[in-house]
Amino acid sequence: MRVTTLLFAASAVLGSAASAEARPHPFVAGEPLPELTLPAAENGQPRSLSELRGRKMVLHVFASW
Amino acid sequence: MPGWHDATAKLEAAGKLQTVGIIQEQHPNRARLFMQWKRMDWPILVDSLDLLEVAVVPITLLVDEHGVVRKVSAKPGDLTDFLARDFEPPAGTASDGEHREIAKKSPPVKLSELLPPEGLSGAELAAAWRTHARALFRWGGLGKLDATVEAFEKAVELEPDDGATRFQLGVALRRRYDSPSRREGDFQGAVDQWTRALDLDPNQYIWRRRVQQYGPRLAKPYPFYDWVDQARDEIRARGETPVELAAEPGGAEIASPAKDFNVVADLAEPDSGGRILRDERGFIRVESTVVPGAVRAGDPARLHFAFRPNAAILAHWNNEAEDLEVWLEPPPGWEVDQRLVTIANPPELVSQETRTVEVEVRSPKSASGSFTVPAYALYYVCEDVKGTCLYRRQDFSVELRVE
Repeated sequence: MRVTTLLFAASAVLGSAASAEARPHPFVAGEPLPELTLPAAENGQPRSLSELRGRKMVLHVFASW
Repeated sequence: MPGWHDATAKLEAAGKLQTVGIIQEQHPNRARLFMQWKRMDWPILVDSLDLLEVAVVPITLLVDEHGVVRKVSAKPGDLTDFLARDFEPPAGTASDGEHREIAKKSPPVKLSELLPPEGLSGAELAAAWRTHARALFRWGGLGKLDATVEAFEKAVELEPDDGATRFQLGVALRRRYDSPSRREGDFQGAVDQWTRALDLDPNQYIWRRRVQQYGPRLAKPYPFYDWVDQARDEIRARGETPVELAAEPGGAEIASPAKDFNVVADLAEPDSGGRILRDERGFIRVESTVVPGAVRAGDPARLHFAFRPNAAILAHWNNEAEDLEVWLEPPPGWEVDQRLVTIANPPELVSQETRTVEVEVRSPKSASGSFTVPAYALYYVCEDVKGTCLYRRQDFSVELRVE
């Protein structure tokens, strides 16, 4: 019983520490993509994420390093 | 991504799917070169400021036809189900004030209209400067870099503990350093802002990578741009012209991670008696940058030196004579991987390029406070194309902060 209580307390502390951390990214399944307009790498022209709607998409957030 | 490309290329050709990339890199053309090398031709959007507030990469998302994220950290095996499903449009749009605000601040809005309105103060004024700076950075081009830096500086001054804005100020400073409107100290300014931002949020790995990119080899999680030469060779072998890079990767960026601090055996000091005449007219300007901005005791730091012929007096390198040599005198107890660095002259007789030298130093474990590393450079320089050429020495020093 004592062990169970301690474990419960420990998990409650860990849980609150994890929830206090900043999210590693803004994406949530079931939520729309954040609205943002960014320059295209090729020509610097503005492209908004919302204008990519209409077709299913694979979106890679990546780096070449 | 190559694994993904195999899975998606046919679906893209059939119009069933689109693939888009977003990068946070400082130098977007490097990602374009990477794409060309890997024969991936989907569009890339550039988020060097990390406006998306992504703290890790890579992340692959599946996004439905209504713009709703259906899968985060997706795998190629998730595609079949994703493509087979018909998704309903969302009932409402999630509110995300900041991103919505940023989205508005893009062309065709006139950048001058985004100046903070009068009467704001405190957090509201900081937010207004931040929005203005972000729009200037993305849409103002190289000609607006001074205004971009100033706007970010105003936001940071009002909210000095805002790590994201400090990171973004650093990105703008480094971009200006790589541009013709460079100001002395821009690179160090960028490193100092990134270092401070990381102090405020040590879990932000995009910020951490930016410091590591230019930092010591020991601190690298992986080689950053070692692939560039191989990519160019293979692209040329295919008969294509590689995407041109606005900024060539420097020594820190193409260095494999090293597990040891390798000290090159000491060579003889080139001017131990100090007899070479000093460059009193300032033919060559020296700019020093220390990465990271503050080093922990016992850890290494990478020193970047840029040597630029002074354009105002038409100075240029004389390449018919001695190479550029740089000698460092580390404080007692400090290690340096190369005390003497020699940069070979290019084949042309005269030139005016910037020459860069990078070395690594490591502080003793007991060090704390500020330290000075004295150094000097020896070079052949000419007053003008047909002017007098002189062999000169320039003494300079680097300040290191150990915490």
